[in-house]
Amino acid sequence: MHRHPPTNPNAPEAVIVDNLHKRFGPLEVLKGVSLTAHEGDVITLIGSSGSGKSTLLRCINMLEVPDEGRIVIGGEAIGLKKGRGGRTIPADARQVDRLRTRLGMVFQNFNLWTHMTILENVIEAPVHVLGVPKAEAVHRARALLDKVGILSKADSYPVQLSGGQQQRAAIARALAMQPKVMLFDEPTSALDPELVGEVLLVIRQLAEEGNTMILVTHEMGFAREVASEVVFLHQGRIEEQGPPERVLVNPESERVRQFLSRHLSNGG
Amino acid sequence: MNWELMWDSVPTLLGGIPVTLELVGLALLFGAAVAFAAALLRLSGNPVAERLMAAYVFVFRGTPLLVQIFLIYYGLGQFEAVRGSFLWTFLREPFWCAILALTLNTGAYTSEILRGAILSVPQGQIEAARACGMSRTLLFRRIVLPIAIRQMLPAYGNEVILMVKASSLASTITLLEITGIARKIIAQTFAVFEIFIVAGSIYLLLNFLASRLIRYAEWRMTPYLRARG
Repeated sequence: MHRHPPTNPNAPEAVIVDNLHKRFGPLEVLKGVSLTAHEGDVITLIGSSGSGKSTLLRCINMLEVPDEGRIVIGGEAIGLKKGRGGRTIPADARQVDRLRTRLGMVFQNFNLWTHMTILENVIEAPVHVLGVPKAEAVHRARALLDKVGILSKADSYPVQLSGGQQQRAAIARALAMQPKVMLFDEPTSALDPELVGEVLLVIRQLAEEGNTMILVTHEMGFAREVASEVVFLHQGRIEEQGPPERVLVNPESERVRQFLSRHLSNGG
Repeated sequence: MNWELMWDSVPTLLGGIPVTLELVGLALLFGAAVAFAAALLRLSGNPVAERLMAAYVFVFRGTPLLVQIFLIYYGLGQFEAVRGSFLWTFLREPFWCAILALTLNTGAYTSEILRGAILSVPQGQIEAARACGMSRTLLFRRIVLPIAIRQMLPAYGNEVILMVKASSLASTITLLEITGIARKIIAQTFAVFEIFIVAGSIYLLLNFLASRLIRYAEWRMTPYLRARG
């Protein structure tokens, strides 16, 4: 079975997260998390619910604005400033918009635009954000839909697709922007068990092609196969990180061991 | 029941349709613009604009349209400043007073329908657009507004029908639309029952067509709802 090569520290850094803090009201969800993804890395974030893994992922593309810390995307640090009421806000919304075009995001609930066909979903951002000519965008979109195995659904609407097909469409939509890094936020958690496999297959293929990816997942077996690095979060801190064969097989931390025994006994 | 009188009054009453349609059409057109601006200001995040628009909606939804028409038609002309301004060319005409009242009235209701529809656009679809790097305006134009407009169509259809009926109040300030003409015929014939039955039937016909039109627009704009079948 394919194993992802270990992370290459000599490759350029695609994403640097430095000492990230995030509070929701009185609740501190991230308490100083640092993480680096080099180009070609596949980093999986694991941990129990509430550990802050999704929040960390959402901070990387500024869907959540961290209270403290630094995020660097492809060598460019995201500017932050204090806004009204002392809240941290992006210093330049246009910079955030621009950097987001380099980060493809796949959500737990797919979040396809319901009023557009699958093809329209895929060409929307390339045409209107990047300014790609429509014919070219359609051409590329069809190739991507073919790649994820739903070209026959190009003219269907999201409601007509199964969850697995919708998620594959959402992956094609993210890929259409030709992002430098793909972010996956629990991409299979909303799916019926029998539909999980088809989505994981697509993600695995992307990993094998050398895409840089950061993914939050509960699929431990999958994490072990595709990840170059596994990061275990616990209560807003990184408890343990390293290559999957160490963190997922021989963890040093007792917490990780407990978490894994719970998850593996669940058949995860 | 005087059938002959009813029959004879039909062509005369049908002659009121153009004025009724002009009133409704122009008020809906201007009202849509007012509603769009009011809804956006209401959601702008600017506390002054938000409160101003909330007050506008409160006043025009909370008072009878008839009172609004009277205030505009009889009231505004009392002010020297209004009579002296260029606005007087419009405001001395009952037609434009009726348009103004209907516009402000439907604008208030429609802005609330639109505001509700904008707020009901699923957060996930907005996040997906932001994650693609869409700017605020692009996100609004390509994702939020198209979804909101589709969402508001059934409620807006209601508003259109209410406006067709509300236009009859313009007859109180001398306009000869369907109801105005009906009242004129009644003043000559005293056949209240017969004439109003014909007038009412014409409104029924207009609203039948209006609801069909809205339903067709809904059908055209939401193929994904049909597809679910």
